[in-house]
Amino acid sequence: MSEDPRIVVFCCNWSIYPGLQLSAIDENPDDLPGVSHIVSMCSGRVSPELVIEAFVNGAWGVMLAGCPTDECEHDGNYKTRKRFIMLRKVLEEFGIEPGRISMDWFSTGEVAKLKQSVREFVDRITEMGPARVVKEQELG
Amino acid sequence: MSSKPKVAFYWNASCGGCEEAVVDLAEDILQVVEAVDIVFWPVALDFKKKDVEAMDDGEIAVSFINGAIRTDEQREMVELLRRKSGLVVAFGSCAHIGGIPGLANFYNRELIFDRAYRTVPSTPNPDGVLPRTSSDIDDDELTLPEFWDTVKTLDQVIDVDYYLPGCAPPPDLIMDAVTAILEANLPEKGTVLAPRKNLCDTCPRSESKPDKISIESLKRPYEIEADPEKCFLEEGIICLGMSTRSGCGERCINANMPCRGCFGPAEEVFDQGAKGLSAIASILGLEKEEELTDEDIERLIDRIPDLAGLFYMYSLPSSLLRRKKL
Repeated sequence: MSEDPRIVVFCCNWSIYPGLQLSAIDENPDDLPGVSHIVSMCSGRVSPELVIEAFVNGAWGVMLAGCPTDECEHDGNYKTRKRFIMLRKVLEEFGIEPGRISMDWFSTGEVAKLKQSVREFVDRITEMGPARVVKEQELG
Repeated sequence: MSSKPKVAFYWNASCGGCEEAVVDLAEDILQVVEAVDIVFWPVALDFKKKDVEAMDDGEIAVSFINGAIRTDEQREMVELLRRKSGLVVAFGSCAHIGGIPGLANFYNRELIFDRAYRTVPSTPNPDGVLPRTSSDIDDDELTLPEFWDTVKTLDQVIDVDYYLPGCAPPPDLIMDAVTAILEANLPEKGTVLAPRKNLCDTCPRSESKPDKISIESLKRPYEIEADPEKCFLEEGIICLGMSTRSGCGERCINANMPCRGCFGPAEEVFDQGAKGLSAIASILGLEKEEELTDEDIERLIDRIPDLAGLFYMYSLPSSLLRRKKL
């Protein structure tokens, strides 16, 4: 049996996460095997350090679900978009492919869109397999 | 027999600058040698490994060990010094966070040997000879220590009590550390013996820095003549003061060069490279960030080659990822 992918989805506390919770009454957002949703206080709080930590702890891919353009109260989505684009380039030098870091923007009501995005991301990452990250015991 | 505390200095994967830093104490070094006995210092004194081996465990009061660890011999020496020493201080960037030698963690032994001994134009080696741990020459065995795939910080190999950061540590911090050790006035184990602030906090250019900086185009230091009064970021030059610990005396800034992070992460920073990246990306095109497309952002970023090498210039072995997986 093949291993389930391990995916972390960071969701904004003020838009998509409440939407997800409401919709979760009849469908658990963590239903997809290996997918963990983490609430963050703004997509701007999802620092590159957190993304790297997810990879170090075994994530195959990291997805950011932030607010659409003009809908973030703090302009955090604009900052994080730039950080994620730069982070993809930096992590590529470590051998972590840019496709493992995804970001997309969702309003509160767009749960169906999020679920579709997550499913597509899971499919893509499953095909890619685990990220190339060195484990402590491999360092000798 | 002398009752003065015994002190050792040792070097590993380093450039010799940390040894120079001790000499840079100038006249102050006289105070140091008056107060302590230097029992081991390969660069300056003729004591041997066997002299250290002959000592009792814990007999050396403090060993100042510089350099990163990347060979079996270095591990053996630092394990010996750890056993013989009451305190071990990781001295300088390479021992503290990996330093410049740590950039080798983007490669491995095979790639490094291939470059250094086969493909580099300045080394003729038609037979493709590579270093080996054992070679038989005229019935004698010659040995070399094993060269590791991964460069490590000192505390990834032995227990470390304190850290003196910097490339190299400045004389005032060295003297402060020596004084604190002699007076037994030391902070909690594991402390970095330097200020807790980040470099931007103490930068002489922070006074004139505007409240909001927006980098419209990234520049490399050689591309412009930087204004010695202005914050480097204002001019589009990446400076890592925001993610780096202060205490260096702003030596690079005062020489009109941006910070590259040799003092290691500021307090509460887990990954110096990622934090620097985050800060620079945030102010990139800040003024009209809502109008930028992803392609615009890529274009702004692509002005700088080897971003990972820049953001992790000194801290790769101590970063969250530690190395590239090959």
